[in-house]
Amino acid sequence: MSNTAPAHTAVSGNRKWAIGFTSVVAFFFILNKFILPEAGSGVQKFFNAWFSLTSMAEIMIWIIMALGLNIIVGYAGLLDLGYVAFWALGGYVAGWLMSPFFSGLNINFFGNPRPGLEFGIHFHVFLVLILGGVFTAIWGVIIGGPTLRLKSDYLALVTLGFGEIIPQFMLNGADIAGYNVTNGAQGIGGLDDVNLFGYVIGTFALPEKFLMVSLMAGAMIFFSIRLRDGRLGRAWLAIREDELAASMMGVPLWRTKFASYAIGAVGGGIGGVGFAILVGGVYADRFNFVISIIILAMVVMGGMGNVWGVVVGAVTLAWINSVGLIQVGELVNNSFGTNINFPSYQFLLFGLLLVLMMLFRREGFIPEARIRMVMNEDKVDEEVSDETKIASK
Amino acid sequence: MIKPIKIGALAIAGALALAACSGGSDSAGGDVLVVGTDLPLQGASADASKSTNEVAALVLEQAGGKAGDFTVEIKEYDDSTAAKGAWDDAACAKNAQDHVANTAQVAVMGTYNSGCAKIIIPVLNQAGMLMVSHANTYPGLTVEWDKGEPGLYYPSGARNYARVIAHDGFQGTAAAQFLFNEQGVTNLAVLDDTQAYGIGIADAVQIEFEKLGGTVFRGSWDVKQTQGYTATFEKIKASGATAVYYGGIFDNNGVQLVKDKTTVLGDNTAFLSMAPDGFSGYPTLREMPEAEGLWMTFAGKSLDGIIKGGGAPAKFIEDYTAKYGAQPNSSYAVYGGVAMQVILKAIAASDGTRQGVIDAVFAGEPLCLTAEESVSGMGFCLSTETGDVDTVTMTLQQMTGGVETDIKTLDIK
Repeated sequence: MSNTAPAHTAVSGNRKWAIGFTSVVAFFFILNKFILPEAGSGVQKFFNAWFSLTSMAEIMIWIIMALGLNIIVGYAGLLDLGYVAFWALGGYVAGWLMSPFFSGLNINFFGNPRPGLEFGIHFHVFLVLILGGVFTAIWGVIIGGPTLRLKSDYLALVTLGFGEIIPQFMLNGADIAGYNVTNGAQGIGGLDDVNLFGYVIGTFALPEKFLMVSLMAGAMIFFSIRLRDGRLGRAWLAIREDELAASMMGVPLWRTKFASYAIGAVGGGIGGVGFAILVGGVYADRFNFVISIIILAMVVMGGMGNVWGVVVGAVTLAWINSVGLIQVGELVNNSFGTNINFPSYQFLLFGLLLVLMMLFRREGFIPEARIRMVMNEDKVDEEVSDETKIASK
Repeated sequence: MIKPIKIGALAIAGALALAACSGGSDSAGGDVLVVGTDLPLQGASADASKSTNEVAALVLEQAGGKAGDFTVEIKEYDDSTAAKGAWDDAACAKNAQDHVANTAQVAVMGTYNSGCAKIIIPVLNQAGMLMVSHANTYPGLTVEWDKGEPGLYYPSGARNYARVIAHDGFQGTAAAQFLFNEQGVTNLAVLDDTQAYGIGIADAVQIEFEKLGGTVFRGSWDVKQTQGYTATFEKIKASGATAVYYGGIFDNNGVQLVKDKTTVLGDNTAFLSMAPDGFSGYPTLREMPEAEGLWMTFAGKSLDGIIKGGGAPAKFIEDYTAKYGAQPNSSYAVYGGVAMQVILKAIAASDGTRQGVIDAVFAGEPLCLTAEESVSGMGFCLSTETGDVDTVTMTLQQMTGGVETDIKTLDIK
């Protein structure tokens, strides 16, 4: 067998998934932009209920978040329980740089302020996305620097602490030494509409907004795959599998972990900016511990380390949270005449799903090859043993 | 091996097949107009929201399901998610688009949370749809508060949002005036619970109290402060304050707060305390001996006040109790009914279009409900300029014998 065969298979697999992802995005864009407006009310109602475009756009944000965390948890094997902090930071970058919030300033750099609300800071969305990524990467470095020498449980606890501190800062940031930095619990609203070289994506341009965040998710998928296959990605995987062996092979442990934290944080920053644009503002209430856990569950259930597995995990859990349980509940109640409030059982169902996954498919929906081997070590050993016996015969 | 393209194709085919099977048409068509209710149906506010939806449904039922010549239906929207257990910004943004997408819908009753209203109002404003809230008390939604407000929420430049409850500015003003003028307090400690409602109302108390010539010690209590609040009350003691105002809601660790206040500063005869309607309607608070003597304000009439007032409003509560087996969960639920009454009246006065319904509130003569009409027993007119009520009835209550007792009502113009 050729040495390039596994690599070829991986590239081919990625291509298939990429075509699948692009097809689904194109399908929903074309459907909502051109077909549904002309379709019958029954068809419109169905898609609005089960696959509303606002929910689909939100799912794309969850994909970006999950892929960001996947770099930290899935690639480098560092348990992060405070990823929501990066979401918050990214969101506030959008709030600061795309709204009239800093009313004492009057800065417009290719921005798109609303008439009458020209004061504040109004940057172009591309610049805000870049700055959002850079800002969170810097915070990833600040947080990662002093903590990454810790291991496993201790690191998890410290990240949990940061995950609590930053949202609390946002919540209480209305008066920092006399300055209103975050507008506290009131949040920052009135974000500018996105203006792409004269084409304004307004409040009701949902297909365009969906396409925009889908492109962001697509870019995140691309960079995740490229990173994993590169030198840095292989170093992360080596550390994840065996830190001691990796260091013996010359992998600089601290620097490599540090890079995973900084690069992983970028996903949170970009996703945070995208989410703030979708919602039209940023509100501190969102950023709580549960969000960090849900993102982590997306990574674990999807398949830690496997980009497409994480995408499937994010789509599944985000859809269930957004519309799935409500619609399935309505379907069941209408079909059987029951009156069960399915969303109220979300965490019961969620917990049940986690338990079942851990019992029957610990490695996730679509596991990464190495993790599958580790998780099924006994089976692999048996298979190897069988193969050896056959060969010896 | 999993075939991703096949999976995608199968999912799309399945979706289309389901869509083809679903058939049917919108429940609302022709002259049937839809009013959406937008409330958090999951988490801590679930019971209050359920009760509010029931009150709104009963109001419509008693109107014969009609507003003028139009048949009206209610569609319930949930602006919370189970994951958060509270209102969710993404759910609010989704609902805003869903309201607009429902072509038969002409108005929204809600929201419960001001934060959610901040997201929904601008979307509905651009689509030209009326929204009437029964519970949003953040002042900046209708009047100038922070820079850019309230214009920030009305991109079209025209108004489309009204509320049937007084904003925090009124309640804070009434509390400050009561403490300064009637209780002789000149040095007041004002605490907030670090959340939007609490900060807003605490700000309002502080501004009015300082305007009257009093001195304010400002602090906060955080729900996550598990070690309690004795240190905060020690600071208050040292500040020379003679009364404390709790700006926030009792849900946010109010039990610990009230207990620690009594431990450090003494009971309410020794050291006066006062709270807004965020402390109203909690059986746990009523059962606490430390709460005895606590002063409270309620923006509007309390549930007991409505029942004691008799007439049509009391009959409505009776009807509700007969139908659902218990009284409305809170006074806010009743105000949900008032908001629905406003919407029905606006629809009746309109041509059945979204713009017509908005015009019924914001153009021409102000839309009014008389005290006899209103299920809260409180008459008012809506300002065509701001969408706020022109008359605010404030109920002053005191906890006596484990009951929130109405002391008097204050009509503030």
